[in-house]
Amino acid sequence: MGGQIYRIDRDRARFKEVVRGRIREDLQRYLASSELIGKRGDRVVSVPVPSVELPRFRFGSNESGVGQGPGEVGDAADGRHGEGDAGAGGAGEQEGTHILEAEVELEELASMLGDELQLPNILPRGRDELDASGGQWSGIRGQGPQSLRHFRRTFRRALVRTIASGEFDPERPVVTPIREDHLYRALKPKPRPESSAVIMHMMDVSGSMGREQKDIVRIEAFWIDTWLRSQYRNLEVVYIVHDAAAKVVDKETFFHLRESGGTKISSAYELCLDLIKDRYPPEDFNIYPFHYSDGDNWSARDTERCVSLVRDELLSRVNQFCYGQVKSAYGSGQFKKDLDTAFPGEDALVTAGVDDRAGIPRAIKAFLGQGR
Amino acid sequence: MREARRAEDAAAAAGLSFFEVVFEMLDAADVNAVAAYGGFPTRYPSWRFGMEYERLSKGHEWGLSKIYELVVNHDPTIAYLVRSNSLMEQKLVMAHVFGHADFFRHNAWFAPTERHMLDRFEEHTRRVQDYIERYGQDRVERFLDVALSLEPLMDPHGPQRRFRTAQSRAQRGGAPAGASQVERSRANLRLVMGGDNPAPDPAGPELPTFDLLTFIAEHAELEDWERDVLGIVAAEAEYFLPQRLTKIINEGWASFWHSRLLTGGLLDPSELVEFADCHSSATQAAPGQLNPYKLGIELFRHAERLGLDLFRLRAVHNDVSFVDEVMDEEFIERSALFVSERPRSGDGSRIGTRDHVAVKQELLRSLTWGGQPRIELVDVSGGGSRELVLRHHHDGRDLKLDEAAVVLETIERLWRAPVKLITAEGDEERRLTVNGGDVQVRGSEGPPSALPSRAG
Repeated sequence: MGGQIYRIDRDRARFKEVVRGRIREDLQRYLASSELIGKRGDRVVSVPVPSVELPRFRFGSNESGVGQGPGEVGDAADGRHGEGDAGAGGAGEQEGTHILEAEVELEELASMLGDELQLPNILPRGRDELDASGGQWSGIRGQGPQSLRHFRRTFRRALVRTIASGEFDPERPVVTPIREDHLYRALKPKPRPESSAVIMHMMDVSGSMGREQKDIVRIEAFWIDTWLRSQYRNLEVVYIVHDAAAKVVDKETFFHLRESGGTKISSAYELCLDLIKDRYPPEDFNIYPFHYSDGDNWSARDTERCVSLVRDELLSRVNQFCYGQVKSAYGSGQFKKDLDTAFPGEDALVTAGVDDRAGIPRAIKAFLGQGR
Repeated sequence: MREARRAEDAAAAAGLSFFEVVFEMLDAADVNAVAAYGGFPTRYPSWRFGMEYERLSKGHEWGLSKIYELVVNHDPTIAYLVRSNSLMEQKLVMAHVFGHADFFRHNAWFAPTERHMLDRFEEHTRRVQDYIERYGQDRVERFLDVALSLEPLMDPHGPQRRFRTAQSRAQRGGAPAGASQVERSRANLRLVMGGDNPAPDPAGPELPTFDLLTFIAEHAELEDWERDVLGIVAAEAEYFLPQRLTKIINEGWASFWHSRLLTGGLLDPSELVEFADCHSSATQAAPGQLNPYKLGIELFRHAERLGLDLFRLRAVHNDVSFVDEVMDEEFIERSALFVSERPRSGDGSRIGTRDHVAVKQELLRSLTWGGQPRIELVDVSGGGSRELVLRHHHDGRDLKLDEAAVVLETIERLWRAPVKLITAEGDEERRLTVNGGDVQVRGSEGPPSALPSRAG
C-alpha cells in the first residue's frame, strides 16, 4: 500500500498549499483580529481558516430537520433544556460548517506578513554572537571512510612519492597509491555570525486603557514578535506593564492582565533602561523597546522626564524606539504630540497612532518598515 | 482468517448472499488514507482528498471518531480491517461487512452500478494525471474544482430509470438468455452509458432535465480534456450515488445482521460485554441528532415485529421508501423523534413538534433527492442568447443565495452564456441572474438589486 500513502501525502500537501493561499489572501483580516493570539506554539501557529469547501447549492438557515431524544416542545433540540443555545442543528442530515485549524510555521507567517506589508529585512548591528554549528567539507585528513576519499589529492600525493623515490618512468607513467597516500575529505567547522535581539513591550494598563485598546496592543505585539523572530535567531521578549509604577510580567500576564490606576510613563522607561544596563548590553543585543498607551500621562513634568530619558539614555542604546498610541474614549492623545515635537526628524524614534483595529497594519508598517 | 470463514458461513446460513468478499488488513494510520479516497487505492490528484484525510486523521487523533469498517461496492466486495482492532471488533466488522455485501448485491438501487470500478478509477486517475502533465496542475485543478462543485447536479433516480429501460429492452432480446443478472446489468450499462465521455448530442438537448452536469458536459463548448474531466466526475458521482440514497437502510441492514450473527453464535461468551459496549457506541445517537445506524437497525427490528419480509425490504427500498413503508406512529413515539426548527432569528434549534405525521413528513423531505436541493434545468433560450434557466423546486427550505450565486457564476463561465435561477425566499420568488460575472437578484416585483458580495 506504499503508493497510496505517497499519494495521500501529495494531496495533503496540496491541501495545505490551498489553505496557505487562503490565509495569505485574508492576511489583512488576521492582522486586525485577535484570533491568532494564544494559538502560538514554539514554532507553529494554529490559524483558524474558514471553510475551504467548494461552492454548491445548499440549504440556507431556515432548514429544519428531524432529531431524536427527550424534551418538551420548545426545548433546545440537543437535549439541553431551558436556555436555547443549542450549537449544532438537530437535523441529522445536515452538514456542519467546518472551521479548520491550519498549522503554519512562524517563519512562514512572518514571510506572509513581510510580503503583505512590504517589510524590509533588518541589517543587524552590534557584536555578532558566534554560532559554531554548521560547516563545510573543505578539510583534508589522513583517515576516513572510503566514500569520502579525495581522489585527486590521493593521486597527487602518490605521484609526489613516486617521483621522490625515483620510481617514476615518464615513458610508462603508472602511479599506484599505497595506504599512506590516501587522503579523505573532512568537515571544517565554519562559525556563522548570529545576532541576538530583545524586544521590550511596555503597555499602559491604567484605567483609561479599555479592553479594546489592550486588545489592539496585544495584536500589534503578536505581529511584531512574529516578524522580529524571523529576523533574529536569538530573540528574547520582555513584557512590562505600568500604571503609576512599572513591573516586569510574564507573557501570560501581559496578554490577559486588567489593571487600573494612574499613569506614570517614566516608570516604564526607567525600568526599560535598568534592564538594558543590567541584562541587555547594546554591544550584544539589538534592542527594540515598544511602548503603547492611550497618550495620557500623569503630568507634563513626567513627560519631560520621559523625553530626556529617551533622548539622553535610550536612543543611543537601542535600534529603534517605538511608541504606539491607541485611541481611547478618555485619552487625550497628548503624549504622541509631545514626542513628535521633542524629536523632529529622528529616525530612531517612530510614533504611530492607531484609531481602531483597521489601523493596526499601518502601525506595524510604520514600526517595522525602516529595516532598522 | 479462520474468523472470516466462520462469519461468512454464519451469514450464508442466515440467508445472506454476496459476491466474494476480500478482506484486507490496514494499519490504523493508513485506513484514513483509504477512507479519504472513498475506499479506493487510487483517485485523481485533488486537494479535497487531502482535506478529507486531514479531517479523518484529526478526528482519529482527538479520539472523536474511529473508522471501524470500510466496504467497497465491488465484485469481489473489498473490505478493510484495521490491524489494531481487537478480535471481537474484527468479528463485529466482518459480520457487518457481510451485511453490506449482501445489500450491495441485492438492493435495486445498486443494480446499475459498475462492479469493476477499481479499474475505472485507476483509468480515471491516469487520464487526469496525463492532463496535468499536459496542461499544468493549476489549470486542471481549477477545472476539477469547477466540476466537483457541480457534482451534485444530477438526477438521483436517473441511473435507476435508464437501467430499467435498458433491462426491459434486454428482455425483449438484448442480453443472451441464461446470462446472470450481473452480466446482464453490465451489458445493459455498456448499452446505455456508452462510456465516460459521450460525444455532444447533435439531436439537441432534451429539456427539462435534472442532469445538469451531464447536460453541460454534452452541450457546452469545451476542450476535449475538459469534457472528459466532467465525464469522469459524473461517472464517479453516479457510482457513489446509491450509497447516498441508502445510508439508513444499508447501515441498518448491516447493523441488524452483525448484531444477530454475533449474538447468534459468533461471539465467545467472554466477549459479550465488549461487544455490547462497541455495538451501543456505534448505534448511539448524539443528543438531538439522528444516527443512521441506530435509526436503520431499529426500523428493521420494527419491521420484523410487524411481520414484514426483511429480505424484500432490503431488495427494493432506498431510504425514502423504506422509511415511508416501515415508520409508523408507534415507532416515532417509542424512538422519541421530533421535528427540530431553527428560527430565522437567533441560533440553535428547538423541538418544534412531536406530531407523528409532521415528523415523518419532515424526515422524508430531508431524505428526498439525496438530501440535496432539487435544481432543474427548464429551458435554454433560443435566439442566440443561449441563456440557461434553472428552477429550484422550493419545498420550504431556502437556498443559501450568496453561495448559489457563486455556483451560478461557475456555470456561466463553463457555459459561456448567462444563467438564471428561479428560487424563493420563504413565500417570495427570487430570480438570480448572472451575466458577465455580474450577479443580480430580483424579487417578483421591484427593481433588481446587486447581491452583496460574499463575506470572507
